[in-house]
Amino acid sequence: MAGTMSSLAIKGAQSSRPWPTPWAWLLLPGSVFLVVLFVVPLTGLLLLAFGMPNWTLANFSRIGDTPVYLTVMRNTLEISVTVTALAFVLSYPIAYALTTGGMVLRTFLLIGVVLPYFTSTLARTFAWIVLLGRNGVVNQFLLELGWVSQPIPLLYNRFGVILGMTHIVMPMMILPMYTVMSSIDPKLMRAARANGASPLAAFLTIFLPLSLPGLIAGVLLVFIYCLGFYITPALMGGLSDVMITMAISSQILEQLNWNFGAALSVVLLLAVLSLLWIGSRFFPIEQLLGFSDGKLGSSVTRRQIGAKMLMRIGSAANALDRWFPSMRGRGVPILAGFLAVLLLLPVLIVAYLSFSASSYFVFPLPGYSLRNYEAFLFDTLWVRATFTSIRIALMAVAMATALGAMLAFGLSRGTMPGRGTMIALLLSPIIMPTVIVAVATYFLLARWGLQGTEFGLALGHAVHAIPYVVVIVVANLRDLNPSYERAARSLGAGPWATMRTIVAPLVLPALIVASFFAFLASFDDVVYVLFLGIGKITTLPMRMWEGIRQDISPTIAAVATLQMLFATIVIVVGTLLRRQKKT
Amino acid sequence: MLMKATVNGTDVKTAGITLHDLQKRYGSAMAVDDVSLSVSPGEFISLLGPSGSGKTTTLMMIAGFEMPDSGRVLLGDKDITRLPPHRRELGVIFQNYALFPHMTVAENVAYPLRMRRMAKAEIETRVHRILDQVHLGALASRYPHQMSGGQQQRVAIARALVFDPPVLLLDEPLGALDKKLREHLRNEIKTLHKEVGKTMIYVTHDQDEALAMSDRVAVMHEGRIRQVSAPKDIYRRPADLFVAGFVGEVNLIPVKLKSGIVHGPAGERLPSPPWQDADRDATLCVRPEHLRLEASAGSSGGIQGRISGMTFVGDATVLEFRSETGLQLRSKVLNVSDHSMEVGDPCVASWVANDATILTD
Repeated sequence: MAGTMSSLAIKGAQSSRPWPTPWAWLLLPGSVFLVVLFVVPLTGLLLLAFGMPNWTLANFSRIGDTPVYLTVMRNTLEISVTVTALAFVLSYPIAYALTTGGMVLRTFLLIGVVLPYFTSTLARTFAWIVLLGRNGVVNQFLLELGWVSQPIPLLYNRFGVILGMTHIVMPMMILPMYTVMSSIDPKLMRAARANGASPLAAFLTIFLPLSLPGLIAGVLLVFIYCLGFYITPALMGGLSDVMITMAISSQILEQLNWNFGAALSVVLLLAVLSLLWIGSRFFPIEQLLGFSDGKLGSSVTRRQIGAKMLMRIGSAANALDRWFPSMRGRGVPILAGFLAVLLLLPVLIVAYLSFSASSYFVFPLPGYSLRNYEAFLFDTLWVRATFTSIRIALMAVAMATALGAMLAFGLSRGTMPGRGTMIALLLSPIIMPTVIVAVATYFLLARWGLQGTEFGLALGHAVHAIPYVVVIVVANLRDLNPSYERAARSLGAGPWATMRTIVAPLVLPALIVASFFAFLASFDDVVYVLFLGIGKITTLPMRMWEGIRQDISPTIAAVATLQMLFATIVIVVGTLLRRQKKT
Repeated sequence: MLMKATVNGTDVKTAGITLHDLQKRYGSAMAVDDVSLSVSPGEFISLLGPSGSGKTTTLMMIAGFEMPDSGRVLLGDKDITRLPPHRRELGVIFQNYALFPHMTVAENVAYPLRMRRMAKAEIETRVHRILDQVHLGALASRYPHQMSGGQQQRVAIARALVFDPPVLLLDEPLGALDKKLREHLRNEIKTLHKEVGKTMIYVTHDQDEALAMSDRVAVMHEGRIRQVSAPKDIYRRPADLFVAGFVGEVNLIPVKLKSGIVHGPAGERLPSPPWQDADRDATLCVRPEHLRLEASAGSSGGIQGRISGMTFVGDATVLEFRSETGLQLRSKVLNVSDHSMEVGDPCVASWVANDATILTD
């Protein structure tokens, strides 16, 4: 695992010293934690797939021999390719406008991208189910307008899956695109114009080739995410839309055929790893997850072929410019704004519907009331689930923040061999499909008798949350100049006083933000609970999940709205803390 | 109309630029206010000013990246005010050069020609010729990030010149470089101007650069041109207090003009150029290198005081002077011979009448 991922490694900037410095020791606890709870389980998964201790390839040949599984693979590929392509086409204008637009437009687009990104997948999937159902908002509208005479099937078929998944992955596509686009010097576009390129030609010959790494990374991350996507396809798909994650879950949880489930997981894992390997030939992926030690896009030489072709097209397009009137650059901002509205709309509609006085989803509301919120607050099952979620999240936050902060300090300040491998190991829990990691962790916890315990689940969540903590704290430590600490020492502060008076106040905001996001990662999770909880633990999302599968009760709308509100608070607090630090 | 000038025995395409009452407003702030300027073909002119003075906005309006709210830009006698940047045929050299990072040196230089859909063979000949001219022929297949700052500047120059524009616009090209390199590249640009004979408009906030390179300097402040003159006149005959203070160091002495005679703060008579106007308060400007500190006053008068400080700066010594009324002045004396002054010595500050300028704003 780690060995393969090391091809993504950043060359440590100060890797000339071969021996670990004292700072590097801070890496130890976190790495041990990740090795035991991430590398070991994935290795175990591999062994299990090959039938350990009775080695066999039977599980894999069964996948190849059974038409059902070939269909599952085909479904997975078809859906993932379609969703990735759609998300790409719809995301590009948003990312472009996010880079080049005016202040107001950019703020709006950022909200449109970030708010859904941090709203739980479950809440957003629920929104689509409410919108697309037989008696859903969309059908109500179509009937009202007289465009259809009876409700049309929008849900539990491929259309619904693709729509829902596309909506959910779009922020994931936009953010890496935006990261790379915003690193392009706007002066280059001016230079192109000054050298005779029309706006279109300048875009094709300069902006597009320079944004290519971001596009590749976005497409790759989204495609990988789609391959391992579970929640949305499981809730929105029809019987003929079974994807590989659903087959894995059914083998592990229902058929109890661990070896075969492991084999299916290994197939998915190999697909993901080979995609990552291909991607790493174009771009160091960890830079897009916020880990940029070096300069973005400093390795530019590999993209020659594509750029040459674009040059030819651009030069041809420049001739067209003489005949076409210019668009005055209004088209893209309008399109991007419209798409951002679409991104926000589903969750906003659910928030609106949560205040309904009716026990059905009727649009517009027959009357406002807080009955759904009351139903949530006065139902012991819901309340108990909420407290379970909070307990588990707090345990996960404690572990992830402590270990993640140490890892971040070690990575920023320490030098040691194998730093690149370390970074790859740290970040892979976010890139790996959750279903695989959860299945693997399940096997491990079962060995220790920790399956179905809240602590066991918190361990799983901590692995998932550590990368977020590391990314946030590392970004912050870059601003914490070691000379502050030296200054404090020269002024008479001891090591402990320096820590207390200088380092802690400067790092604390980042730690708070990081722990909030770690909390969110645990609080919103369904997949780990499904596998590690073995039906014994009911967290809030788990109860929502069951609620959505049985009847689509309006109480869930209230819960989803509260989740959204919580995510908004986290984002606002994070932004405020960051701003406060700057002033 | 485009002009043909002859430089070093070859014909050169060049043209003048005329700005008519250019105005540009951002919100309520006037970025450029009534700027008019006439640049003759082949001239090297600098727009000099602090940041926010409107010099870059003016250049960007010439290049076509900003639209003036009113006013006109003429290239020769052709109105180009509303022409998009890619149809203006002006060479632009940007700050940090804006070389395309994904293209080699040769591809960068070929870019303007490809955008003009020139034949492949023609492009190749032209790129070769210009790269040889800037001594980069051997580095044609390098990428910009593999080159030094000086080499990058030459690539930028080659790219801006390869399509033979009549005018070259330079937007603080030396802005981000260290001092040694700046001085070297400054000379390179000056030599280039002599060789190619193009009209050049050079934006900078560095007075040394502007004075050293230009035929004329336009000093800008708060969106307006305060003075356009040859470098020597900008320095020796500043038109107002801003120009006097922005270009070089200056001593400002509050004076009263009474019946053709200049009176200092204590009412003493001061050396000054002849003055014909009505009586009024004014400011007298004297550069530190023109201020002399001597034991006794000459015939044309001076200010009584003492030496209050002395700083050795290598080639010169800076003497600080404090008058009896508390006025502080600086004098810069080249260290060609030892001088016998000490801190605390009483002395008289004076200057040659023609070295002073009277400003009445």
